[in-house]
Amino acid sequence: MIKVDNVVRNYHAGETVVKALRGVTLEITKGEFISIAGPSGSGKTTLLNLIGCIDQMDGGEISIKDEVISTMKKKEKTNFRRNNLGFIFQTYNLIPVLTAYENVAFVLSLLNLPEKEVKERTMAILKEVGLEGMEHRRPSRLSGGQQQRVAIARALVKNPEIILADEPTANLDSDTGREILELMKEMNEKHQTTFIFSTHDKMVMDYASRLVMLHDGQISSDERRK
Amino acid sequence: MKFLISLAFKNLTRYKRRTLITAGAIAVGLMMYIFIDSMLMGAEIESVRNLKWFETASARILNDEYWENRFQKPMDLNISSPDKIIKTLDDNGITATKRMVFSGDLILNAEDFGEDGNLAATVTAIDPTRDFDVFNFGTTLVDGRFLEPGEDAVLLGSWFAEDIGAEVGYWITVVTRGNGGFYEAMDLEIVGILNCPNPNVNRQLLMMPISTADEYLAMEGAVTEINVSLPENADVNMEVERIQGMLNGDNLTVMSWEAMAVDYLALAEAKRGGTSMILFLIFIIAAVGISNTMLMAIFERIKELGMMRSLGMSNTKIRLAFMFEAAGIGVIGSVMGVVLGIFADMFIVNIGIDYGFLLRDMDIGYRLQAIFRGVWNPGTMVKAFFMGIIISIVVAYLPTKRALKMDIPSCLRHQ
Repeated sequence: MIKVDNVVRNYHAGETVVKALRGVTLEITKGEFISIAGPSGSGKTTLLNLIGCIDQMDGGEISIKDEVISTMKKKEKTNFRRNNLGFIFQTYNLIPVLTAYENVAFVLSLLNLPEKEVKERTMAILKEVGLEGMEHRRPSRLSGGQQQRVAIARALVKNPEIILADEPTANLDSDTGREILELMKEMNEKHQTTFIFSTHDKMVMDYASRLVMLHDGQISSDERRK
Repeated sequence: MKFLISLAFKNLTRYKRRTLITAGAIAVGLMMYIFIDSMLMGAEIESVRNLKWFETASARILNDEYWENRFQKPMDLNISSPDKIIKTLDDNGITATKRMVFSGDLILNAEDFGEDGNLAATVTAIDPTRDFDVFNFGTTLVDGRFLEPGEDAVLLGSWFAEDIGAEVGYWITVVTRGNGGFYEAMDLEIVGILNCPNPNVNRQLLMMPISTADEYLAMEGAVTEINVSLPENADVNMEVERIQGMLNGDNLTVMSWEAMAVDYLALAEAKRGGTSMILFLIFIIAAVGISNTMLMAIFERIKELGMMRSLGMSNTKIRLAFMFEAAGIGVIGSVMGVVLGIFADMFIVNIGIDYGFLLRDMDIGYRLQAIFRGVWNPGTMVKAFFMGIIISIVVAYLPTKRALKMDIPSCLRHQ
């Protein structure tokens, strides 16, 4: 489903070139619950950004569902993200002026769906992530865990085949982090959505069905757990 | 689209302080624009009125060659039968009055003025029985009385009287040359002081009865000009042509007030250009303020912007969301600006600003003596309202464009 072939990404800091990814090759199949792990600066987020079509690679090729994304133009990438990918961020990144319901519905409004369908799908997903009755709360009136649940609902509501989560539990305490991972796992199994998440937390790695370790921009191990 | 509008509205209420500060900057700019426009438009309208009421009348009949030589004030380039012309005009429903303008030396004696002296002066001889039908001196008397036909008397403008230290009851002597070139000295009593709202007139006004001047200067009924009053809504140029037709080619010409005040009109036009520049600068200042706050508003939401872009929101829609927000600020600022402008206009229209201290000794071109009063101009208010919105949108466009140039990972990392 996702093919990452010899991908290279360099960053330029003044005259210094930082090699974030040095020829990463990886294949991910549908429905995987895969963790990209490694220490800070190992290239986890860079790899996630490249798969998520929000960054440009310097070499190699990535294809998702047989579409080569590395050669796509900006607008094509935007459309691709809108239709195929869901994102969960470390700091939730909810729109503070919108309620939980509106934050989720926002993604569907980008797909120009009828209002009735937007409402039904939004309410259903919020119920699924355990936020029934909190639809009208703004992020400031939700706990960190609840905010991340809204973010998960926002990522799932358009039924994407792939969800990318960059350190989704890093801002949460361990109990809440565990709850969030349980929820992600549940959604992965229920919807057969491919979850790719980055982490450097041992507890989070334990939840993954496949653990890809990165070190200095290269894959140091690729282990299937179950 | 509905979502974008709702998001923009919610963001306006999210940053209440910023919204109010930016809207306030727009409001102050628009208020200034409305206020200055009202004041200058009022000054122009009043100047034109004062010009016609005290200086040029609506139109003037002159000897064909007089206008070219007007600075010499030639007595021989005159109208020989003014009463016949005035009668013809009267028969056609047009009010007119004759005047004789000549230059002379004004001699001041020590007995009245404390010391002897003399200065050049322009004397306007008027027909006291008709002059106030054409000109508006009727309400300007501040001391003494008006002129009577045939008396050896003068009226002075209040600033002129002040400058020479004249008071009612003082005597002056005017030395001039009569028709044919002989010298004549006229002893005249100051019987009244007029405070004319037209500063150009008030600075040098010296009026005497035309019958007295006629006798002293042997004009035999001839005058240098006939001034015509036309209704406010009359087409002056058409009326000028009509009057010209009544003169039967007597070597006379009719000039409209616009033709006589060509210098003033050119000056007013130049002032309008200058005013537009001032107004443009006011808008630039407001625009810089708005741009700055919009820039801050956009940059503090870079992360949010990155999130929206990663979720697949197009740059066009993001730009549109910020444009709606800016338009919202523009609407609030414009409403506030127009309301403030109405209050400012209420002051300038009803009370005005007294620039007497400035205009007393300085000629700025406007025919206003002291108080600048504004006029209501709904057109400017409507224009200001829409300009406020358009400027807000335009100045929000550039920072949004700049922010959208950042790559998405940088946006998401932004703190």
